[in-house]
Amino acid sequence: MSYLGRSIKRVDGLGKVTGRTPYTPDLVLPGMVHAYPVFSNIPFGRITAIDLAAIKEAPGFIAIILAADIPGENQVGVIVHDQPLLADEVVRYVGDTIGLVVAETAAIAHALAELVQVKYEEYEPVLSMEAGRAGRGRLLHESNVACSHRSVRGDVEAGFSSSDLVVEGTFTTPHQEHFYLEPQSCLAIPEPEGGITIHGSLQCPYYVQRAVGGALGMSLARVRVVAAPLGGAFGGKEDVPSELCARAAVAAMLVGRPVKMVYDRRDDVQMTSKRHPFEMHYKVGVNRDGRLLAADVLLESNAGAYATLSSVVSYRAAIQALGPYRVENVRAISRAYYTNLPPSGAFRGFGAPQVCFGHERIMDHIAAELGIDPVELRLMNLIKPGDITSSGQRLDNCAGAEKTLTKARSTSGWLKRLPAGAGRYREGWGVATCLYGNGLGAAGWRMDGAGARLQLLRDGSLEVAYGLTDMGQGAITVVAQMSAEAVGVELSQVRVLPTDTANVPDSGPSVASRNVVLTGNAIRDAAEDLRKEMTSAAGQLLKCPPEQVEIEAGRVRDLQSGREIPLAELAEQMFVTNRSMGALGWWHAPPLDFDADRGQGEAYFAYSFAAQIARVKVDTVTGLVEVLKVWAAHDLGKAINVAGVEGQVEGAVSQAMGWALTEDLRMTDGRVDTVNFSTYLLPTFTDMAAVETIIIEEPEPLGPWGARGVGEPAIIPVAAAIANAVSDALGVPVDDLPITPEKVLALLDKADNGGLGTGTTAIGSHG
Amino acid sequence: MMRLSGEPAYFDLEVTVNGRPYRRTVTTHRRLLDFLREELLLTGTKESCGEGECGSCTVLMNGLAVNCCLVLAVEAQGAEIVTIEGLAQGGTLNAVQQAFMDCHAVQCGYCIPGMILAAGQLLESQPRPSRQEIESALVGNICRCTGYHKIVDAVEQAAGGGA
Ligand code: FES
Ligand code: FES
Repeated sequence: MSYLGRSIKRVDGLGKVTGRTPYTPDLVLPGMVHAYPVFSNIPFGRITAIDLAAIKEAPGFIAIILAADIPGENQVGVIVHDQPLLADEVVRYVGDTIGLVVAETAAIAHALAELVQVKYEEYEPVLSMEAGRAGRGRLLHESNVACSHRSVRGDVEAGFSSSDLVVEGTFTTPHQEHFYLEPQSCLAIPEPEGGITIHGSLQCPYYVQRAVGGALGMSLARVRVVAAPLGGAFGGKEDVPSELCARAAVAAMLVGRPVKMVYDRRDDVQMTSKRHPFEMHYKVGVNRDGRLLAADVLLESNAGAYATLSSVVSYRAAIQALGPYRVENVRAISRAYYTNLPPSGAFRGFGAPQVCFGHERIMDHIAAELGIDPVELRLMNLIKPGDITSSGQRLDNCAGAEKTLTKARSTSGWLKRLPAGAGRYREGWGVATCLYGNGLGAAGWRMDGAGARLQLLRDGSLEVAYGLTDMGQGAITVVAQMSAEAVGVELSQVRVLPTDTANVPDSGPSVASRNVVLTGNAIRDAAEDLRKEMTSAAGQLLKCPPEQVEIEAGRVRDLQSGREIPLAELAEQMFVTNRSMGALGWWHAPPLDFDADRGQGEAYFAYSFAAQIARVKVDTVTGLVEVLKVWAAHDLGKAINVAGVEGQVEGAVSQAMGWALTEDLRMTDGRVDTVNFSTYLLPTFTDMAAVETIIIEEPEPLGPWGARGVGEPAIIPVAAAIANAVSDALGVPVDDLPITPEKVLALLDKADNGGLGTGTTAIGSHG
Repeated sequence: MMRLSGEPAYFDLEVTVNGRPYRRTVTTHRRLLDFLREELLLTGTKESCGEGECGSCTVLMNGLAVNCCLVLAVEAQGAEIVTIEGLAQGGTLNAVQQAFMDCHAVQCGYCIPGMILAAGQLLESQPRPSRQEIESALVGNICRCTGYHKIVDAVEQAAGGGA
């Protein structure tokens, strides 16, 4: 186990500290031209005319691509086919793309795109989730509902009537913009033999391959997609790059030159996906001791103009609506409504941070009503090995749920916390727990596979190709560690290739914390084949049976005689004796037995667990919330790269702090007002809370070396823990994010005026 | 954004970048950022906001850290510019670069060139900054990935090692 469970320096660090890593906006090719989108500046309407007079004669103009120029299908919706690649009839949000201007320079393309005159017949737009839910007037699509999911078990009404207390609450969470620092960008290169190669800032090369093939009417074998190093993604480069790349591909084929497109920040914010805003209604029944007996949960979200990945978010929300708690009587319904706003889509956590805010706020309401310590209430209700989740799945490997919570409690000093006090500055403590289903889940398990290819070279070094991507989180380093470990080469002798659809079979999307588990298992699968060949050749060299050969960290040894040769010698011998030196590994999720109608059963093949505690200080005069510290306990099964895990957790805490406190995305008539860093406030150096990462390792039997995913779990409980801490500090429930100073002051005012109601509560009939 | 109306005005720019003198004709409205990235192909300098708010495009101009998306190329007349490409000497990283590697301060890396240059300038003016001083000095540099702690660790290490 030499390369795992340690802090390994990033294998891609050198290029990043010297400025030599070639991100997509940095790429330059001979003959390259530039494109920029023409997009709708109204939220809803029908295109009546497109006037190109102002641009066609302009110096530097090369071409404009409109819907009619798409040789294949004008459709880019990844799950639901509701999204035209280029709008030809109806535009559905400010930012809906109508065409691409191609020009000699990026500046000319951008300037000309703004000069294209589009005339519309304007429709009455649907500008809020309430309007979307009402579904009156002209609809964006056939139905006002983009998708809906449910998870139902037991008898909810009976559960309520046997409850001693029923607590209700409504919880709302806002949009969140990814604000990856590298804007959306791609480069489409027409190949001389008629194919196309795409380089881009993208998480999901196989999505892009399919979108480009579809738009061009081209066989997938002719579409090659390479993921360039990503300057951040967080879900924002899951499906959106399919749009950019397919449009740029159409342009590149038409003009016969490489076409590069990089979005301007303001346009990126306006045009691309965001975290779904949620409005959540929880009604939960408990007995006197605090045992959860029944839950009725309605989760409504704002899908924006197109369905994109709403169904993945909505499914996960329904399944995880009650987090890691046992509840036998459950009705969780989740629905996403179309609105004329930028599409909501994938964002780290896929709906889980939202519902975590819901289930963790209601838990604190219950704790307050019953006068039970919030940690105790949670411990009483957490699933234990052998229990059934609220979505009907028996879990045997969930000891991490309790362990993360008890460890967070003891490390943080929760039991010794002081009361908030009544002065100007008030301290508060909050706790939140979560679970996170790894992988695509029951709806997608038939496609939930990923590959890795290992190639031993004749000098004993190893080339690794994998099908998922590194979006900055450190996947490449983890892949290198796991490959070195599995094959027995030295880490410094491993080179991980850029993700390229030409290297590995379709491995699906790099989402849902799939990388460690899926790629890791695929690497082990490939390594098994490769090592069979290696040990057999080594046996011949060392004159011993293959079972007696040990290969580790570049040394090949006969365990009996102790004789040892360098791996390089073995590799050379394999080459000159015609041995197979490469292997393709594949791993797919096990079949899941799931009842989609009731939303019950095996929803995900494995889960990650986390518990976080936040300590905050609130200034009751300015309303400012300072997060002093977050203790983040995560069950990773096995931490592959310890520093990498800490980095993921610290980064997730900062992103979630922004979502919880300062990132206040405002729109007027479908136009984002907060399009830059001075109006949309990301956490800075001085805002950042102290973070203590607590690693728990409860092995996951399906995970490679027992590992589970961590990238997303890290972000899920943070905002809920902060909101619980602010509620604790103020003695007032905080049920709406972001917790801006204005809201804090308004809550304090309301409390002073005595007009404060916690979630509606009712004492049930049972005694 | 460029203007399409009116004749562009040109300017003969003389500037030293990473120790090398350059003489180029540029339009007067060209940003220093584009001059570096597009004319000199020094693409280590990143653009993220284009409005002076994120620090990704930080370079040193006569020893001072500037957001070069807000600087016109003509303003660099006669100036000494240092970009991220100018830091490592003969393949050896400078202390700040090395510390960023050692302290796991890098994730996606897009903010990192600007961070390293801004941190370098801080250490020039204040060789032993406290953690708090590091945080306030770098507050104009945004990172969306790391949560900043490991960047502060790196600057501390560079300060320790460089003294
Ligand atoms: S790109 Fe210059 S400060 Fe953001
Ligand atoms: S490392 Fe990604 S923005 Fe800083």
